[in-house]
Amino acid sequence: MCSLPLLGAAPLATIESMLLKPEVLCGHFEQKKQLVGLKNPVNSSGRFCVVADKGVLWRTLQPFPNTLRLTRDEIVQVRGEQVAMRLEAKKEPTVRLINTVLFALLAGDVRQLEKLFEIDGSVQNKVWSITLKALEPGLAKAIGSIALKGGVYVRSITIDEANGDRTSIDLMAIETGESAMNVDEAKLF
Amino acid sequence: MTQLKLLAWLWSLVVCLLVVHTSYLWLNQRIAPETDILALLPLQQRDPVLQQAFTQMVDTGQQRLIVLIGADDWMQAGDAADAYVSELSPYNDLLQLDQRATFDSPQEWLGLFRQHRLALLTPEQESALRHEPTQFWVDQALSNLYRPFGGSILSPWHDDPFNLFGEWAQARAQDTTVRPRDGRLSISDGRREYVVLPFTLRVAAFSTAAQKAIVPLLQKAKHSARKAVPGVEVLSAGVILYAAAAAEQSTREVGTIGFGSMLGIIMMTWIAFRSLKPIACVIVSVAIGCLGALSVCWVVFDRIHLLTLVFGASLIGGAQDYGTYFLCNRFAADSRQLNSWQLLRRLTPALTLALATTVIGYLGLALTPFPGLRQVAVFSAVGLGFAWLTVICWFPALAWRGTFKSGRLGEKYAGTMQHWPVLRCDRGTLVFGLLAIALAAFGLSRLHTDDDIRSLQNPPKHLVEEQIKLSQLLQVPAPAQFYLVRGPTAEAVLQREEVLRERLEPMIEKRLISGYQALSNWVPSLHVQGERLQLIQKKLLNEGGALNLLAKKLGEDDKWVSRSREALLASALPLSPENFFKSPIAEPSRPIWLGNLNGIYASIVGVRGAKKDNLAILQQAASGLEGVQWIDKVSEVSSVLAAYRQYMTWLVVFSYFAVYGLLYPRYGRDTWRVVAPTAIASLTTLALLGSVGAGLQLFHVLALMLLLGIGIDYGIFLQEHFGRRDAIAWLSVALSAINTLLSFGLLSLSKTPALQAFGLTMLIGTVAVCLVVPCFALAARDNEIPTERLGVTV
Repeated sequence: MCSLPLLGAAPLATIESMLLKPEVLCGHFEQKKQLVGLKNPVNSSGRFCVVADKGVLWRTLQPFPNTLRLTRDEIVQVRGEQVAMRLEAKKEPTVRLINTVLFALLAGDVRQLEKLFEIDGSVQNKVWSITLKALEPGLAKAIGSIALKGGVYVRSITIDEANGDRTSIDLMAIETGESAMNVDEAKLF
Repeated sequence: MTQLKLLAWLWSLVVCLLVVHTSYLWLNQRIAPETDILALLPLQQRDPVLQQAFTQMVDTGQQRLIVLIGADDWMQAGDAADAYVSELSPYNDLLQLDQRATFDSPQEWLGLFRQHRLALLTPEQESALRHEPTQFWVDQALSNLYRPFGGSILSPWHDDPFNLFGEWAQARAQDTTVRPRDGRLSISDGRREYVVLPFTLRVAAFSTAAQKAIVPLLQKAKHSARKAVPGVEVLSAGVILYAAAAAEQSTREVGTIGFGSMLGIIMMTWIAFRSLKPIACVIVSVAIGCLGALSVCWVVFDRIHLLTLVFGASLIGGAQDYGTYFLCNRFAADSRQLNSWQLLRRLTPALTLALATTVIGYLGLALTPFPGLRQVAVFSAVGLGFAWLTVICWFPALAWRGTFKSGRLGEKYAGTMQHWPVLRCDRGTLVFGLLAIALAAFGLSRLHTDDDIRSLQNPPKHLVEEQIKLSQLLQVPAPAQFYLVRGPTAEAVLQREEVLRERLEPMIEKRLISGYQALSNWVPSLHVQGERLQLIQKKLLNEGGALNLLAKKLGEDDKWVSRSREALLASALPLSPENFFKSPIAEPSRPIWLGNLNGIYASIVGVRGAKKDNLAILQQAASGLEGVQWIDKVSEVSSVLAAYRQYMTWLVVFSYFAVYGLLYPRYGRDTWRVVAPTAIASLTTLALLGSVGAGLQLFHVLALMLLLGIGIDYGIFLQEHFGRRDAIAWLSVALSAINTLLSFGLLSLSKTPALQAFGLTMLIGTVAVCLVVPCFALAARDNEIPTERLGVTV
């Protein structure tokens, strides 16, 4: 067991070298939200896919189906069979920023995250963890602080919002390659 | 002789007063000509509310300068922008970067709405509240809740569980594609990242000094941006750039055309008179004419329009005829041993007729209801009068016997008159006449009119391209086309806007427009706010509404429901325009709210992304709506120009008759010989314009009016000197015509379309009138006009 104190660019390089970067990455997620003003935590679970050069698919299956698809040009939310919301990057430029951040978080793209966040990290026995704080004060205020943990892939994401809401997501059963996506998911992209 | 001296001294006194008055105007009043073409409309046709709307939309825009700095990478764009701004920051007194728009975070700039936000809804939300079942809203709240990575970025979930405010704010944010980012304003087209730099000019965009100071600064700033980041794209747009380009073009043209015309005139005078004194005399008479016109115009109207000055400047063409005619005769009179007093008596009838025939046309102009035309009339008539008086009062003293020696070329030229074809009743004339009529008919039949203001402008291509790209990126509403909404109260205006919006919404879906800017987007009428509140209470908040069902799903109790309901209702205070304008977020909406204008409230609804073909549909949308009017400044200005062109055309026609009437007592049945050459020259010009496919516009007609004044002068001069052996009139006509060609004909080389139209008309018309006028001059039938009629005993 060894612990490395990480400073400067070297630790990020270490973390980067630990992460795999598959073209397609799918898996199962468990999301737990603790919101101010609600007694009970709000839990949900489902599947997610991260496809290089395309975007992110976030399919909540429990407690009810709800799909979020984020690509370079739009964010689409599908509830049941219906499109509940569509946000085009052409009209809302922040769509691209949101998509970039989300993709980088799920894929563990440290280089990309570095452009937007101040990163603190440590590596312990093939498991790394980093905390992110947005460089831009406005963004920092809006999203609070983010913590990532993982090994060859990102394994958990924790978001602490400034208003006290807390979201933690665990990613598991990760598969890679063309076969990782099931038929429904391939259709959605 | 003493009368002559007295006259000269009296006139000197008048000129002194004139100089004092105009210098007073120049130094104390800092006279700046009006430039708004709509100021030329008759007063009763001008709408004060509309004027205010234009002032806010157009004049505010005039002082703006927007610069976009683009690079593939946001950081690079930022570096280039820093380099650009640092070059300009020492010049805050000239132009200032507008930083108000960069707020810290969305929460802060939406802070105003904390107490008012419940009733702010998008049209889609409102329709969903009416038509969707309660379950839809429960699902909506839950899916917002389960969405990963926070609910809405604007507020915690429990402040806005149905995401009503979140979606509304999103829609408002989409009014513009500009976003605050890292303390800058940013915009992206998907390929490049741009930093947006909005500047406000601290000096008037149309002032030449400002243009000379700012344009090179911008160049320098662009250069340092490119030096900081090679390959960076710099786009800029602003009225000042267009004004500067136009000013630069006209300066360049004055440099080349003006220099050429001056040189030509001096050379011609030298060849004819072997002295530069004549040209000095002519310039003095024209200058006094212009000063007199300016001075009287200011006293009468208390202002002066740019168009008056432009057309008034063309006075020179008419005013110089008098001087040239006098001097040519002075030159010839030497041989006849006439002194100046005798000469003046001899020339006065012709000079008086020349003045009267021109002035009578302008008197007709003064009777039209258009203030601009009245100004032109007064300016021109007074200017010609002053130039004429200068010739009468000063020239006899200035040009004494023996002042000029004969130039040989002048004499030789005068001899050509002998061989010029003359109009006779023979076959040659008939064939030529019929041929001319056929050609003229062909040309005239192809003549069409074109009053589009856009054809009067010729801005540099790169400016237009940058402007188009920039407005595509920024998606700004068109500044010259919009809806004007009026009502007795602010509430009424907002309600009328809401009715109009119901017609605009489907147009967005059909992609006829990409959006619209209206205050009621931000501040709904109280009526609508009340309606929506009822709707929200019924569907969401009341017993059995979505909030109750949601609590059950989440396992929360009644306390939670009532707490949430109270929290939401606390944000339902009515929002008024006054409240709204207290917030910095209202800043971009300020130009579209005209507020209270003498008891009438008015606002502007701006349209984004409208194509030129769809303007008719937009106009149609306003029809039948109370207090809503579609405004298209481009077409308004064009219609003013069209009205002016029509009036001027009638004036030209009327003038021919008036001139004929004036000349008849003197020339009797030979009057047609004086008038016909000018009429023929004018028709020839029109026919030529028609056959090259040029659209007839105001500036062509203005030139025809000037041509009328000049051409009739030539006719009179030649007719006075019956007997074709008298070459003096011929020489004087030729000199006048060459001066006219050099001063106005050269304008046809101008790149400014209005000047080019004017110049081309003068060029063709003057050449034609010169060629034709000798053909109509009475041949040596000495007995036809008794010498007494000339008031001279030779």
